[in-house]
Amino acid sequence: MVGRRLVVERRGTPSLRARILFPLGSVLGAGIIGGLFLLAAGHDPLEAYRIVLQSGFGSDLTWVRTLISATPLILTGIAVAVAFRMKIWNIGGEGQLLVGAIAASGMAIALGDSVPSFLVITASLAAGCIAGAFWASLAAFPRAYLHTDEVISTLMLNFVGLYLMNYLIFGSISPWRDREALSFPRGRLIPVGAELPQIWMRLSLGLPIAIAVALLLWWILRSSRWGFEIRVIGDSPLTGRYAGMSVPRTIISVLLVSGGIAGLAGAILVTGSTHSLAPGSLAVGLGYTGIVVAAVSRFNPVAVIPVAVLVAGLSNAGSSLQVLGVPSEIVVLLQGLILLLVAAAEFLRDNRVRLVSREDELETQAP
Amino acid sequence: MDGPGDASRSNDAPAAELLGVSKAFFGVLANDRIDLDLRHGEVHALLGENGAGKSTLCSILAGLYKPDAGEILIDGIPQTFHSPRNALAAGVGMVYQHFRLVDTFTVAESLALGHPDASFRLSPRRLELEAASLCDRFGIQLDPQARIWELSVGEQQRVEILKLLHRDVRILILDEPTAVLTTQEAEALFRAVRAIRLEGKSVVFVSHKLREILAVADRVTVLRAGKRVGQTSTANADPAHLARLMVAREFAMPELQEHSTSGEVALVADGLVVAGERGNRAVRDFSLQVRSGEIVGIAGIAGNGQRELSEALAGLRRVESGRIVLNGRDVTLANPMERIRHGLGYVPEDRLEMGVAAGLPLEDNLVLKSYRTRRFSRGPILSSKAVRAWSTDLSERFDIRGVRDGMPVSLLSGGNLQRTILARELSQRPQVLIAASPTRGLDLAAVEGVRRHLLEQRAQGTAILLISEDLEELQALSDRILVLYEGSIVGEVSPGGLDDEQVGLMMAGHLRQTPD
Repeated sequence: MVGRRLVVERRGTPSLRARILFPLGSVLGAGIIGGLFLLAAGHDPLEAYRIVLQSGFGSDLTWVRTLISATPLILTGIAVAVAFRMKIWNIGGEGQLLVGAIAASGMAIALGDSVPSFLVITASLAAGCIAGAFWASLAAFPRAYLHTDEVISTLMLNFVGLYLMNYLIFGSISPWRDREALSFPRGRLIPVGAELPQIWMRLSLGLPIAIAVALLLWWILRSSRWGFEIRVIGDSPLTGRYAGMSVPRTIISVLLVSGGIAGLAGAILVTGSTHSLAPGSLAVGLGYTGIVVAAVSRFNPVAVIPVAVLVAGLSNAGSSLQVLGVPSEIVVLLQGLILLLVAAAEFLRDNRVRLVSREDELETQAP
Repeated sequence: MDGPGDASRSNDAPAAELLGVSKAFFGVLANDRIDLDLRHGEVHALLGENGAGKSTLCSILAGLYKPDAGEILIDGIPQTFHSPRNALAAGVGMVYQHFRLVDTFTVAESLALGHPDASFRLSPRRLELEAASLCDRFGIQLDPQARIWELSVGEQQRVEILKLLHRDVRILILDEPTAVLTTQEAEALFRAVRAIRLEGKSVVFVSHKLREILAVADRVTVLRAGKRVGQTSTANADPAHLARLMVAREFAMPELQEHSTSGEVALVADGLVVAGERGNRAVRDFSLQVRSGEIVGIAGIAGNGQRELSEALAGLRRVESGRIVLNGRDVTLANPMERIRHGLGYVPEDRLEMGVAAGLPLEDNLVLKSYRTRRFSRGPILSSKAVRAWSTDLSERFDIRGVRDGMPVSLLSGGNLQRTILARELSQRPQVLIAASPTRGLDLAAVEGVRRHLLEQRAQGTAILLISEDLEELQALSDRILVLYEGSIVGEVSPGGLDDEQVGLMMAGHLRQTPD
């Protein structure tokens, strides 16, 4: 029975270089493993990757497409990242995004063309934020005071949000619905004044807003008292209580901020690209992909930006691959591999794994 | 590694014998050349304070630890146990303080857990019958069909015992079995232990409660600081003698004792009742006053309400009834932050879980309670520069070592961790300080440092409530000592005329009076 066993020990804090090199290595590793799959399936991996890169990041046009897709992902990614800093799982980014889109388009339509463009846009974005935060609060208060599981409650609210949007467009003659569309129901266009200005071809001001939110949040989490409280409570709620922090209040504030950011994603989608409450382009799982983006960026709001761009580019490349006979699923496979390898690499970065004999191990466990 | 299961059992050989068993952890001797003989059909108690080496000795007999030196004989045959499995095969089984049960299993299914003869296909019916017949045989009350999660702690313990009886152990080791039991459950346990003994099996019964030992054991071996210091049969045991054996010690670190006049009453607890985890009354009708510049010691064996008391005083646990007054203000309903603001410092017993945010670096932990003050924040923004400067300053003043940039404090040594907590609490200049087992598990140098800080704080007029199991420490530091047993104070003694025997008896629930 005396044998050897793997023991895991924590390393100190990783250097900035390690924090950048490990994830990059993971992406590269995912490419290699994915390549083996392609090879096994009888495709030329180098050719496939060339096409992926070209159709995701090959030209100005594809870059614009990628960045447009990345914008909401940055925001839903940060929304998840902020909450996870306190070990709160906000799976409800999808619902908060949709409700944010409903509120933003509603606000834009209500204000109409009579109000200055700047005000309509601001009001619409604010409405999206508030609606998203409100949607998250439905899960936040029970979580904080009754210890309900936020994973379940935020997830269920996604469906409520989805069906609310569907009802407004398909199930009723609501102000959101385009009354002139007779054949197939669709959302009513928001007034032109409510559209976000475009900065590069079809790319709207939404991207710089998302980046600004990411940077702001990164700084707040790092430097504010609120960020400090999140760190402490995320590490140990008991210690937070001991230190005199209000754990319920912090949980609620974190979830409100998280929901507000996801709501902003919906508002930016409506004012920046769809220009109407368009169920087909809004309910495409951006909230869920945000979880992947946040996890790959290890819940760092700044790292969310490049990861969202990468994920968006890969997704857009998928459809081009199909045309060339390479299954577009390879893109999903790559995304999965990246997620897996980043998690594994982080573990190896933070822990040293070594073999020890059973005897030593018993001693290290003893009191 | 043949078990002696069917080896000839000579009746003159003891059921088990430990000869000169030693075991060290990190250079500290937990067991120092201990001899122990266990007769057939005997209940043998191991008595000693926490850290005396009882659990280590049991774990060696049960095959969990390998002794550094010494021999184990079962029925006269030398044994080398590489794991608890070997010990079980030789007929030795142990019920640990933390149960090893699967919540969703039934009592009957638990019997098959880890059983070497368990077949691939289990027959629940047969297991239930076996469980029922075992319960019957040993007078154990359990429903074989009940699921583990439905059972009380006492019932779960019975399942553990049942498992071992089902494995047909001949030596049953119970490590502090009554620590988690109510009085009635303990009585039921004693009945079962007697029934087990009647079948010729032997029981090792670990406890620090004299009353229980005298009630259930045939012989008792006393351990102190890893050494065997006495053995006697309970029939002619003198409780006072046993108590003295258990707590007597050498004086290593005498300090202080010249009294400044103590000042105003700074902390009052009046008729406190506090519920424990299991809904029991962990603290009942507890009253005390602590004056400025005074250290009041609370003596008692762990698990007698110390944790609940300190958490209630700190505002982390709801008070059922009674009153807490801090510097003249009623804070019974105040939250932890208000109490911190009103000058309460708290060095908790649980350093890693409560005392620090273990995953965060030193500087964060040093400002855990003061980050809101103007010194460290401008409005809602923290000044990392001020925080770091403060951290450097405190590290120097409190001699916190082994810190690397950004390193989580969980990697600090026990002494440095406690220095970190003390640095934070004392730098707040508390008017009232609760210190729960502040030196437990620390090395001598660290102990000395902690004590010095507490005495300095007392000299500066802080009212200190020192909760400790270490009588010597209480005696060295306290102005007066209260003895806690089952959540209330059973006596007060002055450290000068401290009578080990009397305090030992009070701590063991054997004496309830106020001699002074």
